[in-house]
Amino acid sequence: MAVRTLLFLAALLVLALIAPLLIANRFLIDVLTLILFSAFLGQSWNILGGYAGQFSFGSVVFFGTGAYTSSILLMTFGIDAWIGAIAALFAGAAVGAFVGFLSFRYGLRGSYFALITLAFAEVFKVLANSVEFTGGGIGIFIEHEPGLARLQFDDPAGYYYIALALTVVSLAIAWWLERSRFGAYLKAIRENEDAAEALGVNAFRCKMYAIMISGAMGGVGGTFYAQKFLYIDPPIAYGVATSVEMLLVSIVGGMGTVFGPLVGSFVLHGVNEVTRHYIQTPGLSLIVYGLILIAIIGYLPNGLIGLFKGRARPKDAEDA
Amino acid sequence: MSKKSHERSNRTSVSRRRFVAGASALAAAGSLGFPHVARADGHSVKIGLIHPVTGFLAFAGNQCRYGCQLAINDINAAGGVKSMGGAKLEAVLGDSQAKPQIGAAEVEKMNEAGVNAFSGCYQSSVGLAATAAAAKYNLPFSIDIGVSDRLVGRGLKNVFRMADGYGRIANDAAVNLGRINKAAGSPAKTVVVVHEESEYGSGTAKLMQELLPQQGFDVLETIKHANPTRNFDNIALRIKSMKPDVVMPINYPGEYVLLARTLKQQRIDFAASYSVLGGGFNFKFINDLPDVAEYMIDVNHWYNPKSEVAREMRGRVEADGKFFTFEVYLAYNSIRLLHDAFERAGSTDNDAVIAALESSTLDPLIMPYGPTKFVNGQNTGSRAVSIQALKGDVDIIYPTEFATAKPVFPRPRA
Repeated sequence: MAVRTLLFLAALLVLALIAPLLIANRFLIDVLTLILFSAFLGQSWNILGGYAGQFSFGSVVFFGTGAYTSSILLMTFGIDAWIGAIAALFAGAAVGAFVGFLSFRYGLRGSYFALITLAFAEVFKVLANSVEFTGGGIGIFIEHEPGLARLQFDDPAGYYYIALALTVVSLAIAWWLERSRFGAYLKAIRENEDAAEALGVNAFRCKMYAIMISGAMGGVGGTFYAQKFLYIDPPIAYGVATSVEMLLVSIVGGMGTVFGPLVGSFVLHGVNEVTRHYIQTPGLSLIVYGLILIAIIGYLPNGLIGLFKGRARPKDAEDA
Repeated sequence: MSKKSHERSNRTSVSRRRFVAGASALAAAGSLGFPHVARADGHSVKIGLIHPVTGFLAFAGNQCRYGCQLAINDINAAGGVKSMGGAKLEAVLGDSQAKPQIGAAEVEKMNEAGVNAFSGCYQSSVGLAATAAAAKYNLPFSIDIGVSDRLVGRGLKNVFRMADGYGRIANDAAVNLGRINKAAGSPAKTVVVVHEESEYGSGTAKLMQELLPQQGFDVLETIKHANPTRNFDNIALRIKSMKPDVVMPINYPGEYVLLARTLKQQRIDFAASYSVLGGGFNFKFINDLPDVAEYMIDVNHWYNPKSEVAREMRGRVEADGKFFTFEVYLAYNSIRLLHDAFERAGSTDNDAVIAALESSTLDPLIMPYGPTKFVNGQNTGSRAVSIQALKGDVDIIYPTEFATAKPVFPRPRA
């Protein structure tokens, strides 16, 4: 990576770190938090869908499992949210391994894999609705007790910094994928799985690792959501809307790129907030939002990141 | 990269400087465009209205918004908040899109816009998130509609609800059904409960499973369905196979109407459809599908038909081309409750307004309630009533002091 690029990213990080000190408007901090959180979830999808080429329509299953894991640990056993987040990470990875093993072991690819992940999310939703320890359809209400141990903050900046940390970690993972042998294996699988296997890539193992990393990230995201909004129920935890948002920010920003989900999240949330703010007629903001979305997807097949790829200098390209 | 493609990319690409400049400009525009802090300025008292005006609950959400705006217009026409020099109420509109995180984000936005109190949110899940967000700023929050008992039962001092939660309503519903059945010679013995999957449906259904046997009913099955559900054929067939005396729907408007229509289309015979907080039981339903609605019973919030003010208000709403649904008058009363608190507090100080709400003894005017009396944020003076669709209109059939007709139970055979 070029020195100038590194400096630019460092400057962006410093700007992000001091943003709560510069922005007095708490709503804007809250919006930035949601953008970063959405980017983090999008990156978790991007690792599986963007880098490994395994399109998942049900990645919310990891998010929901993480949310339930930490919430149950907190509300039933009194285990604080930090340990809950670690448990959620492992729970998400475990669900990833479970879904991945059953899907990849039997050679499900493409649209079949997408549909099976959607089905898993629905199964988990039905299960969460049916069993007692998840609160059934009533869900789990988390008591409002601000404090670092509980990962609850009265000041929106607290959530902002947690979301920022998650996003930076997710970018670091994507950056590592760009440069590692494992990342190259994933890209090879994405481009042509049979060819990759013929060259000695263990596609099953690589895809399993990818879905477990994706699941672990989704699980931690679930904990963040539960601690911020203090209530989860099956439609929130396993609803298809979150899955769609995860893949949408990646597709709009640029699949299989380090910054795609972050850029996609900024643009989609930014457009959403601006249209909601300036257009009061019910539904009209969603129409405008939809039209912008269609335009982006229609005219930028490589996502917004594709706009900038063409100007990479030869030296940058060599670095990459 | 070839020279040609490099040139092409140069034509279409954006330089980093331009990107940074553009992004900064966007950020600045966004910052300037969003509301700045400006609390009540002596001329207006801002009330944030958070409802699902888009999405699958859009009809109900818009009815809520309409009711709030109607109240604000009436109050302003009558002189606003007189103790504050005639300060006008000002609505700040929000759309939760039926999502808890959006509802909470609306609170953050409206707090920055200087809102002094909130009214919302129709859905309990959104209400739980939004009230918690408002609690951070100690901003008063009046729940216009939202039946989860946890909305007011978790120690948040800023949250008040004028109407009942599902705990008391479920109890009233079971008792009323028992009395109606007994008065008719106890023709009904079995019940099938059909409920939606969220807290409202699941929580109410769980209570009904405990309460109905106490009234002598056998609950044959409790059937849960997703939101949204657009085909009730299978559920109707299951109901048909069990031959219950009473079908008890507990669901949101769209599903409520679809289930009722499917039961009618499949000619399933039962003594009564007796819903609890049936989201779709309203004048729109009765107007659109009178044959389906006829004789259906619901236990719900309803206006007091013996109140002159309520009848006059119904006329005004209908003249405005709207349906006089419970969302309208519950939202209307929610704003009246806040206005009364501002009036007695004489300021927009949060603590003073919350104290005024705690000591509220407001005459609910249009509702069959006694004066408000809040205990832990819940108005203990409220009560739901049993209502029945009869001859294209809705009559209260229980309790008797508000009744405008006698129950038709069991309903006549088709």
